[in-house]
Amino acid sequence: MTDTTLPAPMPVEEQATGKLAQSRRSLAVRLLIPAQVLLVFIVAFPLIMQIFISLTWWTPLDGDPWYLAWMSWNWFDNYTYLMQDDGLWGSVGRTLLFVAVAVPIEFFLGLTLAALFYEGVLGRPVLYSLILMPMMIVPAVAGYIFFLIFQQTGPLNSALSVLWPGMLDVNWLNDTTRAFVAVVIADVWQWTPLMFLILFAGLMSVPEDQMRAATILGANWRQRFFRIALPRIKTVIAIAIGLRVIECFKIFDMLFVMTGGGPGVATESLSLFLYKRTFQDLEWSYVASIGITVLVALSVLTAVLMARVKKKDAR
Amino acid sequence: MTGLILRTLAVAFFAALALLPISWMASMAFKPAAEWTSAAGTLTFLPKDPTLNNFRYVFTGNSPDQMVGLDRTVWRPLYASLLTAISGTLIAVICGTAAAYAVSRQRIHESIGLSLLQLRIFPPLAVMIPVMIMWSFLGMIDTWWGLALIYGIVTLPFSYWLMKAYFDELPREIEEAAIVEGCTPFEAFRQITLPIVASAVASTALFIFILNWSDYLIALLLTRKEWTTIPVYMNALATAASGQLYGAKAALGLLAAVPPIILGISIQRFLVRGLTFGALKQ
Repeated sequence: MTDTTLPAPMPVEEQATGKLAQSRRSLAVRLLIPAQVLLVFIVAFPLIMQIFISLTWWTPLDGDPWYLAWMSWNWFDNYTYLMQDDGLWGSVGRTLLFVAVAVPIEFFLGLTLAALFYEGVLGRPVLYSLILMPMMIVPAVAGYIFFLIFQQTGPLNSALSVLWPGMLDVNWLNDTTRAFVAVVIADVWQWTPLMFLILFAGLMSVPEDQMRAATILGANWRQRFFRIALPRIKTVIAIAIGLRVIECFKIFDMLFVMTGGGPGVATESLSLFLYKRTFQDLEWSYVASIGITVLVALSVLTAVLMARVKKKDAR
Repeated sequence: MTGLILRTLAVAFFAALALLPISWMASMAFKPAAEWTSAAGTLTFLPKDPTLNNFRYVFTGNSPDQMVGLDRTVWRPLYASLLTAISGTLIAVICGTAAAYAVSRQRIHESIGLSLLQLRIFPPLAVMIPVMIMWSFLGMIDTWWGLALIYGIVTLPFSYWLMKAYFDELPREIEEAAIVEGCTPFEAFRQITLPIVASAVASTALFIFILNWSDYLIALLLTRKEWTTIPVYMNALATAASGQLYGAKAALGLLAAVPPIILGISIQRFLVRGLTFGALKQ
């Protein structure tokens, strides 16, 4: 055989596919337009406006429209102020503490439940649906439920007074520590099901024959679970924890309804701090500068994390 | 065998913990004012004297239990919740499905996926100032379309990623065949591909409806009175009349909680996929 390559055999059809490819591409371009318009609408203009306002003292109280904000131009005063705003950093610290306490509890409870389900339980479909129910509750409603439960005249104190008559008669949401514990409990109640759901789906994807082989080789359930199943669902675990950390950091609805950030600022998350600054103090330019700072910080953080993930993948 | 029973008992215990708070609110919704707190006697789990007065109060504005009538009943917020959540879902599903198909088939503008995902990472309150200014500039504060538009945008990442996962799984050969038969690419998309993924679109739509229905924060920021949704209306209820309205608010909470629970259970197998943006399947 010689090495000659034949020329493309059917030039007519190629021309047709070229046309087709073009019309496909133009369809794709058109289909993308609505989503792109929405994205530009919500990102480009607001971002510029937010940076602009954050460099001024503008507030809606001035009575001037936002585009006249340049009249109170102040360069980076908002940014230097936010560096030393104890209220802001306190709320950031509390939010991080909240994430650091609630997410691990949710993870371990969710993992325990997933392991129990994985080993097998009676009436699995029913129990499965029941366990998932809290996360389907509207978060604001969940906040109200726990507001009811933690009232001084509420069911928790009634139940506890049966166990220890007259010993516990406190308003749970009135005390700094207790209020914090209460909102952690509420968050754990609502979002443990999410952890369970994702981790259980992960466990179910572990190849069954590997587990069976391990059983035949004499591995007990602990070995099977920790040595075989868990290492195989590392990515799933990362997704579950990542999702919860992001959502937990944003927490607003439940706290707003349950405690309103109180007592004092004991349960004031970053979102609640921003809300109060926006609507009680109407310091819109200051809030805009915090927003830009949060945006930059989170973008850098995700970029660093993504780079690390990519590095790991490459290895 | 004992292991199985012990595990079942343990899970049943967790299930009871999951259910107790919900059932407390459900029972509260049927309790007369005297049973709302332990101030007037001991609390019981079930209502001693079950009544529909709480529901009557929020739906008609009057109840034998309450001295002061309501100036706003729940009908309007119910309508607002349904209208904004449904139209927001339509916006998200239509734009997201179209974009997902384009990217999945032609691999152009793939970066749109990551940009959309980034929208979900930032706390809404950190970026809401310009949105509020823009909405008021465009006259969209306290309108149903203004709320529907922002719902459509914030749930767009879900519809895009979920539908993209489905389109990526779908073999191209079916469309190719249709195109060879003489369909235009758009006809192939609309008449061949879309019907195949119809059930996926439906699950995605239900999932996104739940998210929109569950919103509190955005409605709080972008509505004033006319178009407040049920969660906002519910939380404002205590100030609307004198005294705490535990029972009436519980009735509203139940009303808000029931649709997502029913829909959520009906798309239970889809939830993992939905919540992880299509990254995991069950």
